[in-house]
Parts: sequence; C-alpha cells; structure tokens
Amino acid sequence: MNRYECFEFLAPLINDELVIGSLSGQRVEWGHLSRHEGNLLVACMGAALGIGIGLALVLPHRKVLVLESDGSMLLSLYNLPTLGSLNPPNLSVFVFDNEIYSGTRISEPTATAGKTDLAAIAQDCGIELATTVRDLDSFQREAKAAIEQNVLRFVVCKIDQTTEHRQIQRSNEDLSEHKYRFVRYLERTEGKRIFLGRG
Amino acid sequence: MKPELAQRIVDGLRDAGIGFVSYLPETRLSQILPLMREDPSFMVVPVANESEGVSIAAGASLGGRPAAVYMEGSGVYVSSYNLLVIGKRLGVPMLLIVAHYGSMMDKRNSFLYAFPGLHLPANLESLSIPYEVIEDDNRLEAKIKGAVQMMHAIKQPVALLFTGEFTV
Repeated sequence: MNRYECFEFLAPLINDELVIGSLSGQRVEWGHLSRHEGNLLVACMGAALGIGIGLALVLPHRKVLVLESDGSMLLSLYNLPTLGSLNPPNLSVFVFDNEIYSGTRISEPTATAGKTDLAAIAQDCGIELATTVRDLDSFQREAKAAIEQNVLRFVVCKIDQTTEHRQIQRSNEDLSEHKYRFVRYLERTEGKRIFLGRG
Repeated sequence: MKPELAQRIVDGLRDAGIGFVSYLPETRLSQILPLMREDPSFMVVPVANESEGVSIAAGASLGGRPAAVYMEGSGVYVSSYNLLVIGKRLGVPMLLIVAHYGSMMDKRNSFLYAFPGLHLPANLESLSIPYEVIEDDNRLEAKIKGAVQMMHAIKQPVALLFTGEFTV
C-alpha cells in the first residue's frame, strides 16, 4: 500500500474535520494534497497524537483525525494508555507504518519491522477498535468509517517504503503562519476567541 | 500544605481563566487535584508522562480552553523536548504548575530531590520559559493571574514554581 494513494483518497473526504499530523514524508505529502484550513501539521515526532487528544476533549462535537507514523508513535507510546482510558469517540488515529526511520539519507528499521505490533499494543491499552490494514481497499473502508462514525479508532496502515515526498515542492508557510491559520479557522468555525489577551 | 492554600491555588487558576489541566500526580501540591475535579470549571486529565501532559494541554489550548500542566519539577526535564518544539517553536500558551521539589525552600528536601531541584531554574532558563518561584501566599492570586496573562501575551509556556509553604 502506498501512503500517497491513501492520502489521495482521504483528502477529499475532509470537510470540517481537524487533521493533526506529525513529521516525516507524510507531512510533505498531506500538505501537498490538502490545503484544508483545519490541518495542523506540527512538524515534530511524538506530539501529534497528544495534541489531537487535547483537541478532541475540548471540542467533543468536532471530529479529529491524527496522522501519525511508526517512528513518532514509538516515541510516544505513553499516549496509548491515556488514549484508551479517555476514549474520546470523536478521535481517529491513522499510523502510517513503513517500518523504517526514513530521513533524507537514512533508512533504518523501526521496531515494527520486527515483532512490535502497534495495533495489539493499542488493544491492550483498552482501545477496542484497533486494527491493522495492509491494502488500499481496507484503508478506504477505515477512512470512510472514521468520517462517518463516532467511535475511537486506531488504524495501523502498513505502507511501502517510498521516497516520493522528496520530489514534492514543499510549502514555504512557516509554523507560526500555519498555527495562526489553524487557530483563526477554528475561531471562525467555532464562533469563539481562542487566542486571548489585548491586541 | 494547608487546605486553604490548595483552595486558593485552585480558585486563583479558575479566576485567571484556566479551564483545562493535564497532570501527572506528585506529593507536594496534590491537594489541588480533588478540588479541581470537583470544580466544573476545570477539565482535569491524568497522563502517563509529562511530555504527553504538554502535548495534550497544547491541543486543549489551541482548541480554545486555556490550559495548564501540573507536574513535579522532574516533569520539566521529561517534557523539555515538547516544551521546546510545541510550547516555544509552534508557540502555544500554557501554564506550568510545578512542584519545585529539591529547592532550598523545599521543606521535604533530601538527597533524592536536591540535584534535580537545584538545576530546575537553569533548565527553564535554557528553554527561555519565564517563571516565578512562589514560596508563600503573599499575592498568590495576583501571581497566578499575572502568569496566565503572560502566557496569553507571548503565546508560549509560563511556569510557576511552588515551594516553601506549599511543600509542608
């Protein structure tokens, strides 16, 4: 399964959902395919799921999708017991697992290339709807269900090792601009001020 | 600490507009936890790691609920990376409510706490996180309010380090 093809399917499904992404090639690919104002691509490993949990808790009427990677998820496994305990029904997590740490010059295996099963860990943390998908049809079913259903979902997506993202022209939007775009979008659609203090 | 001090901290947080608290419990300030849980103004969320406390609080803050992270001083070390890349680089307002164990005013200080406690201010300074050490109840509410006002002004983390009377 190819991550870019997954994103090509998922991006048009997004309406007012919030999409929180971590680092790696997926940030480049999702940012290229989706200009949704509700994207928050935080550009670091180990924090996207936590931010998604916080958003899902304070905006329970709003669907939150988190796009994680295997390396980022392994860095923040402590999120899984917390996620299982809190069980926010408006949150869906997709972990794009290519089984490698893939930098611009490296390709080193992660633990998921061996015996580690992230979906099994999630299940043991109390996340009932945790599964692994290995083909595009299965991904599409899970993606549609994530949009349509109100239940905590944790989907590990086994994907090919690709370097296509390295050919994509990256956005010149910096993190500060990106954050303000996200927050102003939320302020507009939620009808409330988020950043407080006098101007 | 005296029960009235715990209540004043919680009242001060609520009056300053804090509505979300992620926490990893510790000994010195733990009396604030049942008070916050009983107060409908707060959404109180336990975490497994202070790094996660920071990222969850960041999500809450960006979702429009002014947020705090309550942790022991050791948690600042544990969460330093998220404080840097989420709190500082992305720029997300949040209040750090820190039990400053191992400070010279920590009434329970011992060899267990002294080293991490002594290095804590330098750790916060290396992250350029503004902080204030609070040793007693003098102008407690004003200090909490000022810290929250500062976090909104700079849209970054601000820390309050509680020691002295708060460590009894």
